[in-house]
Amino acid sequence: MDWPSFFQSIANGVLIAGLYASVTLGLTLVLGVMGIVNFAHGELVMLGAYSTFWLFTMLGIDPLLSIAITAPLLFLVGIFVYRFTIRPILKDPPLNQLLLTLGLSIFLQNLAMILWKTDSRSVITSYSGMSLHLGMVHVGATRLITFAISVALTAVLIVFLHKMRLGKAMRAVSENNTGSWLVGINVQKTYMLAFGVACALAGVSGSLVSTIMYTYPMVGFKLSLKAFCILILGGLGNISGALLGSLVLGLTESFVGTYVPEGSGWAEGISFFLIIVVLIIKPTGLAGTRRE
Amino acid sequence: MRKDAPAKMTLLQVDRLTKHFGGLAAVHDVSFHVGEREIVSLIGPNGAGKTTIFNLVSGVYRPNSGDIRLGGESIAGLRPFDICRKGVGRTFQIMQPFPKMTVLENVVTGALFGRKPKVSMKTAEGEAVELCRLVGLGDKLKAFPKNLTVPDQKRIEIARALAVRPKLLLLDEVMSGLTPTETDEAIRLVLKLRETGATILLIEHVMKVVMGISDRVVVLHHGEKISEGPPFLVVDDPKVIEAYLGKMVDGEDEPAC
Amino acid sequence: MGSSIRWKTTLPLAILCAFLLLFPKLVGSYFLHLAVSGILAMILASSWDILARTGQVSVGQAGLFGIGAYSSALLYQRYALPPVLGMLAGALIATFVSIFLGYLTLRLRGIYFSITTIAFAEALTVIWLMTPDITGGAMGVSTPPLFGGDREKAYYLILAILAAVVAVVWLIEQSRLNFAFTAIRENEDVANVLGINPTKYKVLAFMISAFFTGFAGGFYSHYNTYIIPYEVFNLGVSIACLVMPIFGGLYTIAGPILGTVLIKAIEEYLRVTFSYGHQIAYGLILVLVVLFMPEGLLGLWRGKILPLFRSRPGR
Ligand SMILES: Nc1ncnc2c1ncn2[C@@H]1O[C@H](COP(=O)(O)OP(=O)(O)O)[C@@H](O)[C@H]1O
Ligand SMILES: [Mg+2]
Repeated sequence: MDWPSFFQSIANGVLIAGLYASVTLGLTLVLGVMGIVNFAHGELVMLGAYSTFWLFTMLGIDPLLSIAITAPLLFLVGIFVYRFTIRPILKDPPLNQLLLTLGLSIFLQNLAMILWKTDSRSVITSYSGMSLHLGMVHVGATRLITFAISVALTAVLIVFLHKMRLGKAMRAVSENNTGSWLVGINVQKTYMLAFGVACALAGVSGSLVSTIMYTYPMVGFKLSLKAFCILILGGLGNISGALLGSLVLGLTESFVGTYVPEGSGWAEGISFFLIIVVLIIKPTGLAGTRRE
Repeated sequence: MRKDAPAKMTLLQVDRLTKHFGGLAAVHDVSFHVGEREIVSLIGPNGAGKTTIFNLVSGVYRPNSGDIRLGGESIAGLRPFDICRKGVGRTFQIMQPFPKMTVLENVVTGALFGRKPKVSMKTAEGEAVELCRLVGLGDKLKAFPKNLTVPDQKRIEIARALAVRPKLLLLDEVMSGLTPTETDEAIRLVLKLRETGATILLIEHVMKVVMGISDRVVVLHHGEKISEGPPFLVVDDPKVIEAYLGKMVDGEDEPAC
Repeated sequence: MGSSIRWKTTLPLAILCAFLLLFPKLVGSYFLHLAVSGILAMILASSWDILARTGQVSVGQAGLFGIGAYSSALLYQRYALPPVLGMLAGALIATFVSIFLGYLTLRLRGIYFSITTIAFAEALTVIWLMTPDITGGAMGVSTPPLFGGDREKAYYLILAILAAVVAVVWLIEQSRLNFAFTAIRENEDVANVLGINPTKYKVLAFMISAFFTGFAGGFYSHYNTYIIPYEVFNLGVSIACLVMPIFGGLYTIAGPILGTVLIKAIEEYLRVTFSYGHQIAYGLILVLVVLFMPEGLLGLWRGKILPLFRSRPGR
């Protein structure tokens, strides 16, 4: 057995899982609180990535520092999107919600193509090439940093949902929105803020994406599909499932990439194959929670 | 007066039927039967498992154990559309007309698919018109369900269930939520059906209805059968009184089911 | 009275048919090309609508389109199968795949079905890119021009297929299938209890939809003379398939066709204006339709515009 490449695969899988988790968390928050699968979540990540890219290229702002800009920026975008498109369809049948967010997703993809062409862009910082050697394993500095930030983000989100007033309100709303209205939670406002927070998370994910992947108009859609795969693996609308699903996807991709001939090409399709296989075995997703 | 045939054939036989949802035994070891041309009421407090029994008989759920026989043939675990074609028609407690279909189209759908052998579109439509008249929707054929009153929506449910020409008709609380006058009309409708020779299993909590039209009553409580018999005997059964008592002392004139 | 109403519908229809048949004689090559791609899109839109009638919202029609396109092109390349037969073969292969996919996705409802269809089309792209020996890979497959480049013949062929689709939809609407499809779409559980076997009708709708989508794919490959995975399996194709009928008006004969005409016109304008991203109109239209006109243009026409016209003479 070639141990170095085995451990390297594990390390790569876990590190990319961090990024996937950060993308999926935003999706999970919206799904958990308001029961909507937001197809445009990936495009918000894409906007975050482009913002980071331009801040870096035009103003020389470090991509990790620009999180402080992309998060609030995307929060505002989120509030705007919520107010004018999501709020009117909160009570619509799920398929209408799907079509609406799919429409947003297509709109934003094409807007990006019009504004920035289809070129792949990348952010190369002074530390982009650096890597650490941990025993047999090499770990790129940017990957490690994005992983650390994703983990921190998850922790913050969990604390937020369990300890802060607004977070608790979101959890209450996700469990029972008639009841929470009775205990005085403003459901509409909670929805709006949950959507905004999810978009802010997308902004952060976008900044992270720009440091370790190419930024191009379709990057968001690719990430959305991976996030759907993770949701389906981990069960809809719960955080621990999302984390576990991210690990499964990250590791599977990384192992396929290493051990299957021409694996890096096949790895791109893993999430699609997993979606199909898992849903066929268990139509409600692996963890089996289903929102009606 | 209903003229009973001397030895009634059993149409529906439910045998030691059990259904669990997770840890909850919604229906536990329940047996009863419905004879041909009989009207049997299934009563019991809210959550007793009445609707679950309908769902089991109509094939919406599969039983965990036990058997259901229709005319001697086991139908337990068959798919709903097969059971329907074998002669079981049902209504839903929460009314579910097809919203984008007119009243007539709703009923035609039942006539077109719910029986064996299949009938032509023309026959189906003709019969559907008849059924709509029978239930009192004759002048609302082209209306959409959302524009109708609650009693009229219930009529759609009944007409649609009748359209499959059921040997056995399952009516789930078709009279709850009706005003006294509307209830009287509904009772007349059921009596009319009984005259045409229908076999009916009904879930009802309006005692006046249960007492007035049932040949027999089966009482469920916490998923188990606690009593069975003619209505006037069942209401005096101490176990039944106990099961209902908690609700009755609230001063309601009828037990909440 | 009865015959005058008949005239009102048959006369415009006859004029429309005559116009469509004479069209190639009236216009030049550019407009003929636009008409061919427009009719192709109408076929895709109507096929999507057939499937949607059973409540299955596919976001992966590109998968079936691509299978039709590749089957037909590869059969020509390997076995010199005549193009029209190739299109038929493509249609049949897509139908076969839809049976398989239909059964697999049967228990999936709503959004799960949609996500699986996206994954299906995307998975095909990956498979195609990764097995170049069989599929031609990223380089794609090319074929000689259809009918030696005679656009007029191509026009009549695709028009005939559109006529077939319209005929099939019309037959569905006249038959018991219409009741089964509608009942399943509106409430699958109730439909089931009323004696409708949802499996049978959902798979049937999928097959009909796949047949025409596959045929359209086969036609596209020969007409375009060149296909690559990124193009035929593209999300854009799947989106086009669904936006056009939604825009025009769902579950109708005219809706998908009307929607296609308008969207193609907008898209053609944008294609000239921007080099990329002309599908922005699709996204925008989808959002606007869901928010402001859930029954599409036809609904708008029936609900708002028609009454407006009607109320005039009364005043
Ligand atoms: N699909 C289901 N999943 C879980 N529990 C159910 C389901 N259907 C019914 N139950 C439970 O089974 C019990 C019996 O319900 P039901 O048959 O609807 O009662 P009834 O019609 O007598 O009021 C209730 O406790 C109900 O919550
Ligand atoms: Mg009930």
